[in-house]
Amino acid sequence: MSRATAGVVLLVLAARAAPAQGITVTVGPQFALASYREVASGLRYQGTGFGGGASARYRKLSAEAAVVRLTLAPAAGGTAASGFTATEVDVWVAYDLAPYASIEAGFIRRTADPEFDAQSVGAVRIGARSFYEIGPGATVLFRANYLAAPQFSGGGHAGFSIDLGLGLDVRLAGRLHGTAGYTFQRINRKTNPGGTGEIDAPIQGTMARVGLAVGF
Amino acid sequence: MTWHRALVLLVGFTAPAAAGAQAVQNATLRRAQQAYDNLEYRQVVSLAQAALRERLTGAERARAYELLGFTYGALDSILRAVDAFKQVVLIDPERQLDPNRVSPKAYSAFDVALRQVLLVRQLRVDSTSFVGGRGAVPIRFTVTQPARVVTRAIGTGGSYVIDSGAWNGQVNLSWPARLANGDPVPAGNYTVVVEARLGQNAFSASQPIRVSHGSVDTLPSLTSLPGYQYLPETEVPPQSWRPLGLAFLYTGGALVGTLGLESSSLGSSSKRELAVVGGAALVTGFVMTLRKPAPRPAAANILYNRLLRDQIARRNQDIAQENVARRQQVQLTLVPLPKPGGAGPR
Repeated sequence: MSRATAGVVLLVLAARAAPAQGITVTVGPQFALASYREVASGLRYQGTGFGGGASARYRKLSAEAAVVRLTLAPAAGGTAASGFTATEVDVWVAYDLAPYASIEAGFIRRTADPEFDAQSVGAVRIGARSFYEIGPGATVLFRANYLAAPQFSGGGHAGFSIDLGLGLDVRLAGRLHGTAGYTFQRINRKTNPGGTGEIDAPIQGTMARVGLAVGF
Repeated sequence: MTWHRALVLLVGFTAPAAAGAQAVQNATLRRAQQAYDNLEYRQVVSLAQAALRERLTGAERARAYELLGFTYGALDSILRAVDAFKQVVLIDPERQLDPNRVSPKAYSAFDVALRQVLLVRQLRVDSTSFVGGRGAVPIRFTVTQPARVVTRAIGTGGSYVIDSGAWNGQVNLSWPARLANGDPVPAGNYTVVVEARLGQNAFSASQPIRVSHGSVDTLPSLTSLPGYQYLPETEVPPQSWRPLGLAFLYTGGALVGTLGLESSSLGSSSKRELAVVGGAALVTGFVMTLRKPAPRPAAANILYNRLLRDQIARRNQDIAQENVARRQQVQLTLVPLPKPGGAGPR
């Protein structure tokens, strides 16, 4: 049994045990669409991928995690020569300040394979989100996270990094939920290659995740 | 004398006598009654006096005196009529004339006779039931002359003075049926005796009663308050465009954020991801706009229900305390019994 399969089994077992503790949990697979740009407008990629997401809520505390593996290929008209595979892990922990607003923190880690075909990024998320139940079992969400202390595989630093998100959760039938999420990420990375002076090497990406989830 | 006054007198003199004629066994008294019916007053006097010299029952004796009273009244011999009626009420203290059926002369003579004799009349003890200490037994009687009146309840459980005072006319008493220590009087049969005394004259009347004890009914707990009902704690808001508006707002926020934060050096990013998720949000908002809105907690109703529950809980606490007290109380039931025949001058 692979580590991924074991992880999913463990997650489902934990999710089934959670309701007894007053915790609501959703777990499910996701399909992702993504676009990625780096350094210059010509270096752009588009691709799709699969992943999974899980969320849990206990009173005013909530947590969310998503993993997705993307296969990105050079976009038409771009200058990129070859594609790469990216694996992104996002984690949020939130605390409700009001029935429609939370503060949240977490982290993002995106790795590229082959390693130097794109920047691998790790950062801490700090932000807030607003959510509203627009109908029975339908919740819409908007979040804004500052990506603090970003680390890059190619070095450099970023003074301004932000991640915006739009989310949707609809209870389709019984325990079955439909989920959709959009993220826009902008990282103002600067590097100083060879000590010749600091140059801009920004990163910008968007991703849409659409999936199903089972609630417990 | 007008014709209708004569008619009233005729009816007044004949009706009382006719009412009692059925019980008369004595032949002389029956003849006196017949003479009275024929308006032969002289014969009535002689026959009634003759009957009184014979052996008569109490009722017949009272009838004979009553015939004499009516006859003397008709003959304008008021003093004799008064004397005759005094004998009537001494034999039958409860005797009452109907002012609508007897002549004014006879009625006034009867009234004067009542005032000249010390009597305790119309002793009534009403049936009643009450919790010991929270009610009283109504006792009514009439004393025909100003007198010292002592009212007692005499029974197997003892003798209790109900009242002692100077009374005249209609008297209304309330007897709490309690002992000096506050306990209810023991259950059993009693006789309420009213004793009136004026100088050497004395008269007493009595009424037997039965006092029984029972347990006091306890109160049931409340599940609701009359006139107050629980309100639904959720309410369905009216259908509106709010879901679609919110979906537009959130999607618009993401779009504006994306456009505003795009890097100029990297160019415009792909919008297909936002189109997918934003489109899904807008469709969901539109569908939710068409659907019946989800019920929401109604804060005012929740507060109202909480107050109502608190109120019912408080009332039930009071009821529980009241029931504890009630289980220590006694329900007194008092019923008058038929008289064995108990009134008379002493």
